[in-house]
Amino acid sequence: MKAWQLFWAASLLIAGGSFACITLVVAVKGFRDLRAVLRRWQEQKERD
Amino acid sequence: MAFTVLDWAIVAVYLAASVAIGLAGKRFVGSVSHYLVAGRELGPYIGIATLAATEIGTITYMYNAELGYRYGFSSFSAALISGLVMIFVGRTGFVIRRFRELELMTVPEYFEKRYSLGLRLLTGILVATGGILNMGVFLKIEGEFLTTVSGIPSRYLILAMTVILLLEMIYTVLGGMVSVVITDFLQYVLLSVATILVSAYAVYHAGWGHIISKVSSTMGQAGYNPIVNAKFGLTFLLWQILLWFSVNTCWQTTAMRMFSTNSPETSKRVMTWTGFIFLGRGMLPMLWGIAALTLYGTGAMDKGVPLPVLNGQTLMPIDAMPAMLAQILGPGVKGIVVAGMLAATMSVNSSYLLGWSSVISQDVVLPFRRLLNKAPLDSRRQIFVNRIANVFVSAFLMFWGLYYTPPGAVYLYLNITGTIFLAGAFASVVGGLYWPRANVLGGYLAMITGAAGAIVPFFFLHWNETAAGLGSFGLAAVGLVFGSLLGKPSGAQPGHSYAIRTKP
Repeated sequence: MKAWQLFWAASLLIAGGSFACITLVVAVKGFRDLRAVLRRWQEQKERD
Repeated sequence: MAFTVLDWAIVAVYLAASVAIGLAGKRFVGSVSHYLVAGRELGPYIGIATLAATEIGTITYMYNAELGYRYGFSSFSAALISGLVMIFVGRTGFVIRRFRELELMTVPEYFEKRYSLGLRLLTGILVATGGILNMGVFLKIEGEFLTTVSGIPSRYLILAMTVILLLEMIYTVLGGMVSVVITDFLQYVLLSVATILVSAYAVYHAGWGHIISKVSSTMGQAGYNPIVNAKFGLTFLLWQILLWFSVNTCWQTTAMRMFSTNSPETSKRVMTWTGFIFLGRGMLPMLWGIAALTLYGTGAMDKGVPLPVLNGQTLMPIDAMPAMLAQILGPGVKGIVVAGMLAATMSVNSSYLLGWSSVISQDVVLPFRRLLNKAPLDSRRQIFVNRIANVFVSAFLMFWGLYYTPPGAVYLYLNITGTIFLAGAFASVVGGLYWPRANVLGGYLAMITGAAGAIVPFFFLHWNETAAGLGSFGLAAVGLVFGSLLGKPSGAQPGHSYAIRTKP
């Protein structure tokens, strides 16, 4: 049981840590991505 | 702790911003490609945000917390499988790379390219049926969460459900995928902040040591080891692996994100990194459920766990987590968390509304018109049909959500309704892409046996979900192989038409 406890605790730390880190990166770089996408949608709309 | 004016103000600002941003997206919609797959312009980071936001909702938090409450750390196995399978699919590009190369808009569309128009129609009907039944329980459970945490009297549950649905429907109907992507970004950031906040509060209030000792004393080894847990076991784990492979490749709302990326390579990156998010998507709310068990699991035993008791009132396990949040979150934080959960709710529901309505319009209505030799619809009319389908799906969700309560754990209900089409679709797609011998008869048999294998044992024979789910995947695979060997060869050329590459 002890081994399972350690395994799940380690999995939880990795899961929580990667969730927080990826959120931070996506919040910053995703905003840039979004602005670029909005620009391209606007250009496509004008072309159409 | 009551919902304060500050909490209401935070929620009101979020709702106003979300709907305004969603409505602004309408001006970018030029064609049906924009409406359904955002013009295939998504880069990796916005792709991750929209995929994660689509698959993380209040319903996700509720069913995962319920699993954590009922089965302890053993439930983490389901989260681990979901994340690892997603990372594997992303790294290898299994199915998703070829799907993206084909420039599809819906999953059933592949069935016409590889098999036949009739099989696309059948798949469209099964995908829409399974998907809408699956989504049918969302609203009620989300409404229960919001009324419990915010302290709104439960008699306003229907009103809460209606308001949630109407708000998300307004911008989804008008702006389609464009509005959904823009709002998903805001919603992803907010729901992630709420997830991290709640996790910290839950562990702080319950205490890690108390969590471990509660699970040990209540469940023993079964609370940690999924193989010895009676609800799980090896068959459950095998079913979960198959299910998550099929979800990550053939689930319409996930596949739409892959179709919306700007290249096959981007779709692989999006899937890989979202896999890491999926580990937290499952495990963190499961931890909230275990914390709720630790704090309030003092009632009579029910299926091996004590029912939650709060202020002298006995609750169901699924209600333990929101009841805990209502108690432990302070003013301001509660507003941020409820806004985050509303964000999660709206991002999932808007994407699912669009996903299932797009299948109805593109894979049921349009193929049916072609079978009747009617003229094809232009882009504007296709969008109109999609909007009508969207309203129809919304109306059904209100009805089903009010009158149907799933038996047992909600997670397992969602898995089995998804399996109705996933088992057959996964077998047909994998066979179609990687096995030249797969043919139309095999495709039909896979879809029919897969659907029957889930519906008959679960809804009519009342078998448990694992037996029905695993049996369904087995039957679909047998159906595909048997039908393909029995029927005429498809004529697919190795390296070409079974992969149907249209563009490099």
